[in-house]
Formats: sequence, structure tokens, C-alpha cells
Amino acid sequence: MATLELKNLTKKFGDFTAVDNMNISVAEGEMIALLGGSGCGKTTTLRMIAGFTEPFSGSILVSGKDVAKIPPYKRNIGIFFQNYALFPHMTVFENVAFGLKLQKLPKNEIKERVESILGLVKLTGFDKRYPRELSGGQQQRVALARALVTRPSILLLDEPLSNLDATLRVEMQVEIKRIQTELGITTIIVTHDHEEAVSLADRVIVMNAGRILQIGSPQEIFDRPASAFVADFMGFSTFIHGTIGLPENRKRPVVCSGHTLFVPEAAAAGLDSGTPCTLTIRSENICLTDEPGENTVSGVVQSATYRGHATRLEVKGCFDEMVYPAVSDYTEKENGNHVLVHFPANRICVYKNTMEEQ
Amino acid sequence: MREKRTGWFSCLIAVLVMIFLLAPLVVIVIASFTPTAVVTFPPKGFSLAWYANIFHSSTHFMEGLGNSLKIGLLATALDVLLGVTAALSICRYDFKGKNALLNYFTSPMYVPSVAFAFVLLQIYSQIGGVPGMLRLFIGHFVIILPYIVRNTVSVLHVFNWTLEDAATSLGANPVQVFFKIPIPLAKPGVLAGALLAFLYSFDEVALSSLLSTPRFITLPIRIMNYMELTFDPTLAAISTLLILGSLILIVLMEKFIGLDMFVK
Repeated sequence: MATLELKNLTKKFGDFTAVDNMNISVAEGEMIALLGGSGCGKTTTLRMIAGFTEPFSGSILVSGKDVAKIPPYKRNIGIFFQNYALFPHMTVFENVAFGLKLQKLPKNEIKERVESILGLVKLTGFDKRYPRELSGGQQQRVALARALVTRPSILLLDEPLSNLDATLRVEMQVEIKRIQTELGITTIIVTHDHEEAVSLADRVIVMNAGRILQIGSPQEIFDRPASAFVADFMGFSTFIHGTIGLPENRKRPVVCSGHTLFVPEAAAAGLDSGTPCTLTIRSENICLTDEPGENTVSGVVQSATYRGHATRLEVKGCFDEMVYPAVSDYTEKENGNHVLVHFPANRICVYKNTMEEQ
Repeated sequence: MREKRTGWFSCLIAVLVMIFLLAPLVVIVIASFTPTAVVTFPPKGFSLAWYANIFHSSTHFMEGLGNSLKIGLLATALDVLLGVTAALSICRYDFKGKNALLNYFTSPMYVPSVAFAFVLLQIYSQIGGVPGMLRLFIGHFVIILPYIVRNTVSVLHVFNWTLEDAATSLGANPVQVFFKIPIPLAKPGVLAGALLAFLYSFDEVALSSLLSTPRFITLPIRIMNYMELTFDPTLAAISTLLILGSLILIVLMEKFIGLDMFVK
């Protein structure tokens, strides 16, 4: 097992900076998610750790040792590729045994280890099949087995679940987590799906344009994004602009389109009175109410989309911006209903408006 | 299931086309067993005498076969080395003029072989003293290269290069990666290209007839020369053997790599 440290890691392609001065430290057995949209530098980071591409500057330390001089085939890093990259001319057994054969292990040991890892990914008995004879989920498990069988010091997963349908995805999430915990292997997972990141990883790193925007536990990232950009990426959809006032009773008023919303003082720390700011709140934390009161604004339902576990509403008229509550008990079929929308103060996140948002 | 939509008319056309393609071959095969000195069809009787005549030293067919095999095998082998490396670098790396390079390597296909032979002839006569085998070898080496490059490229351009990264991450050094991943996967294309290239060289007449010297003559030229002087069933016999040879090659190829490679 190993620790991994990235120090001031930078990668440039010509004038374009793909990864900009990245610093991460991953503990032994920890699972870290690199989360970001396409082109944010997460895959480039992964390729640098694997040794497929050289950093422009900075260093990568595995268990404290700089790996810059170690060629990729000697780094002992297991990689799961987005398109699986199974060798089409080899059977499942040959695919999984590939790395072990290169290590020149005795035949019976290879056989034992392949069988045990195929058991771990629940593919016992599939060893003579070719990749094209397997379903997507099975191919994926072969790829995982192949990456793990050589007992790598670090496991890299590149978008491991992106090619699967919804049911299989949930199943594989559980499997990956189970196997990773069972082997206690230091793992980095690259993904653009925030749900995947928060459900798998011990810590999540949100990236954009080659930079780290936030590092935190899944709860922190999910409930308290560090910026409006991260919030947007984490699936927040209601964004309200306003101007913050002076604290009163450990709360601070924010005037938004003529209405006043109160936010906890802690959430707005460091914002001077009169600062333009953006409020955001998760759809599932917004609720409908019958009683007028604090943080409650009336609006008109524009549309309601039934989503199974909740109905997502588009409510107009509360503020200049649209708000999107997701409620489980909304049964009205018609649009144009007047509703009272309540925004629980402790669920609201407050951000100072940055240049690009104005 | 797709609907069956073959009517009697299209069946008839198909059968006629097949007869048109096969009939001459059938006639030659049957005529090769003629006992008489002139090709007759249907043959009056049965004889293998003309087959025996092929191996008679006065026809020089065996010598020609030896020369053709030498040129064909040598040119194919060296072209596989050159063509596969060219195809690999064209498909593997992204660089400016990649397509131009591919067209350059396949251009001998589009230049008339007579024109090419004429240029080579000029050069040889200026240098002087170029041995017969080398004269032919250079010509064949160039004109069959496109078949190997094209067939290899057609396999490699759909090749998933991530497989190389996967093999590397599992501990394979660059040499091991090369021999375990792209080479086995490109093999069908390389073999198909090599077969086509070899058959082309083995059959080649225009270039060979201009470049060959009296001391080094390939089989097709021997057959042509023989035909100009004598028109006996030996020609039918040797044609039958050549058909048989090609057939065996194609069947072997089909068995080991599958004929669908040729359709690409």
C-alpha cells in the first residue's frame, strides 16, 4: 500500500495549461475522487500519475519517493480505463493473467491468483470467454480484475461507471467500494458525475480549468460548496441574487428582488454589509408551506415534472430568478397554482459575487 | 429476419455471371488433359503428357517458377517490414502530412506499371551492369508495397491505442507492448496484404517483360514467350497448375484469417 502526493503539478500543451499547480496528498487506503467537467484536467492528472505523459513542472511522490524517473511500466499502478481497454485477442483468463505472466510468476500461482480475483469480481467460470462475448458490466469487471491482480500500490479509475446503464451503475458502485475497502488500496477515481463521486470517495476534489476549486468530504462538497460554480456543478439549480445586510440575532438578512431572506451568520462570514451576493439551496431542501413566515415567499407554479421520488417544480414570481423546489407531496396537476415557498435558513449557501458572474 | 426478395430474374443474372467467370477456367482445366498436339475441346481421350512436358528442361518453366518465387517471396518479405512500419507510424502518431505520406506509399498503385518500368529501364541503362534479378526485384518491391500498406492501415486505423497504455500499466516494456498488442492485432491485415502482394508479383507481366534479361526470366514471361512460339496444351496444363496453386493459397488464407479481410 502507498501514499500519493502531488506537488505543484503542472501540465501544459503548448500555450494551454491543462493542469495548473496542483497539490494533493492522498493517505494510504484512501479513495479520492477528481470531479470536474470535460477538459478540467482530471484525466491529464491521471495520465501523469500513470506515467503516460510527463509533467511540465512539479512532482509526483508515491510513498514519499519521486517517480519522475520511473518509466510507466515499472510504476506498479493499476489502471481502469474508461473504454475498459480489454485485449480483444485474449480470453478473460489471458487478459487478467497478462501482468502476472510479465512478472514471470510460476504457472500455478498465476492460475490461483487469476481465479481468486475473478471470484472477487464475481466472474468465476468466465475465464475462457473473449471480451466480445461478455456484456458491458462483465467486461468492466474483467478490466477491474486485470487492474487489481498485479497488486498495484495505487489504483486509478477513469470514469469507471460512465458506460453503464442506471441499474448496473448502482450495482457496480457498491462492488467497487466493496473491493476497494476489502483490498485497502489507495485509489483515485476520475468522474464527471457528482453522485458517483460523493457515493464512492472518502474525499472529493472539484476541479475546473486545471485548478482545484474545493477539496472536502462528500458531505462538505454536497451541502456546502465553496463557490457558486461548485454548487452549480454539484447539482444546485436555484440561484438567487441579492444584497447582504448587517447581522441581527445571529442571522443576516439578504434582500433579493424586494424580499428578505435570512441566512445564518456563519454561512455569510467575511461578507461586508451591502455586498452583492448569490444565494443557493438544493431543490430538495426547498419546501412548500401553508403558513406565511420568515424566509417564505409566494410564487406561481409554472410547471411540475414528476420524477418518481419527487416532483420538481418551476416556481416563478418569488424573485427575479426562477426557483426549483423538489417536493414529494405535490399532487396538483394544473400549473398556475399560487404556492408559498419556504427556504430553510440553515440550508442556504451564500457566495460573494465574483467578476465573471456579474 | 430479412425479407427474401430474390426473384427468378436476379437468380438468372447471377448464374449467367458465374458461368461467364468460370467457363474459361473449366475449359482450360479439361483441355489440359488432351492427348493431341493441338488444344481441342472436348478432349479426345485423356493424357498427362502435357503435364510431364512442363517439367521438361527445354520449356524452362521450372527455372521461371524458381525465379518468380525468389522475386515474389523476397519482395513480399522486405515489403512487409517496410510497409508495416510505415503503416504503424502513420496510424500511431499524429503529424502533419500524415495523409500525404499514406498516399505517397500507395502511389505505385496508381502509376501505370509500363511507365514505371520505362523509367527504371532508363536508370538501369545509365548505370549499366545491374544484374537481372536486382532489376526485377526493385520493380516488384515498389509496385507491391501499396497492397501491404493499405491492408495494414485498414486494420490499424480502427485500432484502440489505449490498449498499449493498458499493457504498459500492467508492466510491459515498449518492446513487449509492440509484440503483444499491435502486432497480433494487425496480423490479419498484414497477412492479407502480403498474400495479395505476393500474388500480384507472381502474376506480373508488363513490368517484368520490360525489365527481365535473357538470364533471369520469371514464369509469366516464360509462358508468354512459349505461347508466341508454340501453342500446345502445355499452356493449358501449366495454367491448371497455377489455378490450383492460387486456390490452395486462398483456402489456407480463409482457414487461418478469414476471407472477409479482402472485402475491406
